[in-house]
Amino acid sequence: MIELKNIERYYPTGAVKTYVLRYINAHIAEGEFVSIMGPSGSGKSTLLHILGMLDEPTDGEYWFLGEGVHKFNERRRTEMYREYIGFVFQAYHLIDDLTVYENLETPLMYKKVPSGERKSRIADILDRFNMVAKKDLFPNQLSGGQQQLVGIARALIGRPKLILADEPTGNLQSPQAKEIMEIFRTLNKEDGVTIIQVTHSEENARYGNRILHLKDGRVENEELIKNGASS
Amino acid sequence: MISNNLKLAFRNLRKQKGFAIINILGLSVGIASVLLIFRMVQFELGFNKNFKQHDRIVRVCTQEKGLDGQESFTRGVPIPAMSEIKNTITQFAATSRIKENWPTVLVPNPNGGAPLKKFNTEEGEIALFAEPEFLTIFDFAWMAGNQDNILKEPNTLVLSQKMAEKCFGGWQNAVGQTLLIDNEPMMVQGVIANASPQCDFPINLLISYQTLISNPDKYDYRDDWGSTSSNDQIFALLNNPAQFQEANVAVEKVGKKQYVDESGGQSSYKGHLLQPLSEMHYDDRFGTFATHVISKSRLWVLSSIGLLILLMACFNFINLSTAQALRRSKEVGVRKTLGGSHSALFGQFMSETAMIVGFSVLLGTCLAWLGLPLLERISEVPTDLPFLNQPVLWIFIPALALVVTLLSGFYPALVLAGFNPIKALKNDLFNQASSGNGLRKGLVVMQFLIAQALIVGTIITLGQLDYLRNMDMGFRKELVYTFNMAGDSIAQSRMSGFKQRLLQIPGVESVSFSSDQPSSGSTWMTNFAVGRGTDYQRFNTTIKYGDADFLQTYGMKMVAGRWLEPSDTVKEYVVNETMVKKLGIANPEEILQQELRMGSGKWRKIVGVIQDFHAHSAHHELEPMTLSSNLERFYVTGVKIKPQNIKATTEAIQKVHDETFAEQVFDASFFDEQIADFYLDENRFSDTCKGFGAIAIFISCLGLLGLATHAAQRRTKEIGIRKVLGAGVSGITMLLAKDFLKLVLIAIVIASPLAYYLMDKWLQDFSYRIDIQWWMFVLAGFAAILIAFLTVSIQSVKAALANPIKSLKSE
Ligand SMILES: Nc1ncnc2c1ncn2[C@@H]1O[C@H](COP(=O)(O)OP(=O)(O)OP(=O)(O)O)[C@@H](O)[C@H]1O
Ligand SMILES: [Mg+2]
Repeated sequence: MIELKNIERYYPTGAVKTYVLRYINAHIAEGEFVSIMGPSGSGKSTLLHILGMLDEPTDGEYWFLGEGVHKFNERRRTEMYREYIGFVFQAYHLIDDLTVYENLETPLMYKKVPSGERKSRIADILDRFNMVAKKDLFPNQLSGGQQQLVGIARALIGRPKLILADEPTGNLQSPQAKEIMEIFRTLNKEDGVTIIQVTHSEENARYGNRILHLKDGRVENEELIKNGASS
Repeated sequence: MISNNLKLAFRNLRKQKGFAIINILGLSVGIASVLLIFRMVQFELGFNKNFKQHDRIVRVCTQEKGLDGQESFTRGVPIPAMSEIKNTITQFAATSRIKENWPTVLVPNPNGGAPLKKFNTEEGEIALFAEPEFLTIFDFAWMAGNQDNILKEPNTLVLSQKMAEKCFGGWQNAVGQTLLIDNEPMMVQGVIANASPQCDFPINLLISYQTLISNPDKYDYRDDWGSTSSNDQIFALLNNPAQFQEANVAVEKVGKKQYVDESGGQSSYKGHLLQPLSEMHYDDRFGTFATHVISKSRLWVLSSIGLLILLMACFNFINLSTAQALRRSKEVGVRKTLGGSHSALFGQFMSETAMIVGFSVLLGTCLAWLGLPLLERISEVPTDLPFLNQPVLWIFIPALALVVTLLSGFYPALVLAGFNPIKALKNDLFNQASSGNGLRKGLVVMQFLIAQALIVGTIITLGQLDYLRNMDMGFRKELVYTFNMAGDSIAQSRMSGFKQRLLQIPGVESVSFSSDQPSSGSTWMTNFAVGRGTDYQRFNTTIKYGDADFLQTYGMKMVAGRWLEPSDTVKEYVVNETMVKKLGIANPEEILQQELRMGSGKWRKIVGVIQDFHAHSAHHELEPMTLSSNLERFYVTGVKIKPQNIKATTEAIQKVHDETFAEQVFDASFFDEQIADFYLDENRFSDTCKGFGAIAIFISCLGLLGLATHAAQRRTKEIGIRKVLGAGVSGITMLLAKDFLKLVLIAIVIASPLAYYLMDKWLQDFSYRIDIQWWMFVLAGFAAILIAFLTVSIQSVKAALANPIKSLKSE
């Protein structure tokens, strides 16, 4: 599904180039559940943004489903977001002017899901995340953890084939985090959804089948997880 | 999606109340201005369109070129030329000769005695002598009477509905009755509908043309190629509008030979040309009978002002939206990752604009409705005509809303929808957003440029009007009460008795009879010769007739010789200084005792030279003038009254008038008011500048206020730090105000030469005018800077006074 060839990303700071990512090569097949780990500033978010086509590599090639992403125009990228990709941001990025309900509804509207189905899907997911009572609140009326839950719910509601999650449980209590991980695993196992997550937690990372360790912008090593974590 | 967009738009509007109010206020004032200007322009452009055959109707006019190359135009055509046109031009399906007339109308008492009612022709109305074909060419609706065989016999007439109601209390019973028109009995044959207010034919009476022909002396009907009166005209109906050029060529040939014979070498060309009815309302070379004329260029100026004001309001919107783009950037980024396409986002932002424009259109329409009475100050639009409920506005208003939405919303929506998502999310848009900075500055400069030009226009027009008011016209215009008299022999026989009775009124200082006031709208010109046996001069002279008291009543001065002695016939002449100069005589004394002859008249002595006075408005140069006394040409009475008890004096004058001339209508006014009326159009133009200048300033300042608010918000942190470092309130106010004042200054610099050019052109229309001076621009600039500074300061002071700890903590 995903093929990264010698991906590089640098920022020009003055005369020198500050490399954030260097020589990233990776192949991620459909149905995989990959975790990315690494110290702060190692380039995890940057890599995820590139995978999510939000950012462009300054060098190297990125192939998605056999197509070169560098050839995508804006329309094709919009299509990707509608059809394939669900994004969970590290900083949640809920739309401040919209209620929880409306935040969840937005991707469905862009996907042109009919209104009846929209309602039932939102009701479903609110139920699953225990947020029914909060549906009419605005993001600034929610706690950080609650905002993160809405962010995850919003990524899942469109039933994407690829979920990119940047520290999806960073602000959650461990039982809640565990629940989210279970949801991810179910989606991955039963619906074949490909998941790439950035995480600081070894435990969460083990839900995946593979861990990429980043350091200073390079893949330091790659760890395969047998059978996934079963706790 | 659309309903969702509108919901979001509404929410966003409520959240950003301040900016929404600024936008809605500015746009609604702009929309109201456009609606009002549309009203004026639409009114003027609709003139004379209500006649069914309007595209086939023409008027034959006359063009003359003097030996000095000066062209003159008139709507008048010599009587014999009219006959020839009537009989020879094959492209005309129908023609009607007409003569303008302003008679006094009496409703006789069938039992004898004093008339039941009497009226003068009202201002804005006209009586026409006309042929039966007139009603074929102009399809006035017929209300009463038999339409066949009308206006064929002498002393028959047709009334307008309004006139019939005035005379007989109702139009139904008018037919068959008799009216005295300037003391001549005439029979009412029919009643036609009143002319539409958008029509240059506000006819109250149509009198048969045979009346003129059968009584040529009374009506001055002269079958003479040599005399052209603007009252004698001919209208025609083309077979087909496409024949206009053909007919024009044919008409040009009429009178070719006769005019050369008649001119006596006075002119280098005289001939006829066609004026289509569609041009009549806009061409002041030929004018109309009783309605106003407005040039197409004035309509263009008005339309441009409307458009500029609307653009200024749109600029505010663009400026505020792009300035605030940063605030929306995160939303754009997130929406894009959720599958929001460029076009969906564009649509969302356009909906926000559409909503603001929608509110503005509602408010603007209300404002236009409230402001409608103001139009009376700057135009001829009657306020009782339908305005907002005209079907054309049901198209115009939505079209306007669409245009305003696109003008205001297109660019900001394009910018916002075009944000790169990752940069938007990282708030790394500073460079993207501030790239609109140059544009914003440009738009602010443009707004103030327009405002500045209008302020300069206001100052200069006010200056010129003030100059005109105080201009020394060479006579005294205050406290002279004047009114018209009939020029018939009965009236003439009562004149000296009338004067004696007026002089007995305690408040009356002197009384004079004359052909017209020293300065008036009418002109009488003739060729003349000075020095017995010499040929005619190569220029014409203006003629005025005044009695022995003319000089004293209107307060003019002699520079040589003496004023005219009492006389009922032309016995001697007085000329003016310009005449002396134009004749090449250095010392006025030298012309005294020389003999002068007007046209083919008798040789008479010049007994005095009068100091120049203005016979027309300041639009005209001083002209050579010859004055004499001639009872037969006295149509105006001027009464100089004392400043005490003015009301009692004027009432006494009316009483004496009504007793002396029972069959005449007393219609008097003060001379200075008549002179002020010369400049009605200029006053309107000045008021237009004033009104729209104020609106332009208002809109520009709203925009500044918005931008200053935004700047203050954006720089809260910087201001906090500066205050902690010891900056004072005034320093911080200047910090913020400086940027904006620079822009205003640039606008002033660009606007000044532009305004100079335009206003200089306007002033060129006056022969007597003020000089444009540098202080006018400085004053206007100072006003603009002051207003801008005050506007910006409101925000800056607020920001400067804010507690620095708060602003720093909140970061
Ligand atoms: N616009 C930029 N200009 C220069 N350097 C940048 C820019 N954006 C990010 N960086 C740098 O890129 C590096 C990687 O950032 P990234 O956000 O990918 O880190 P991360 O691994 O996600 O860290 P964390 O665990 O804290 O989220 C950082 O060192 C950061 O300073
Ligand atoms: Mg990160």
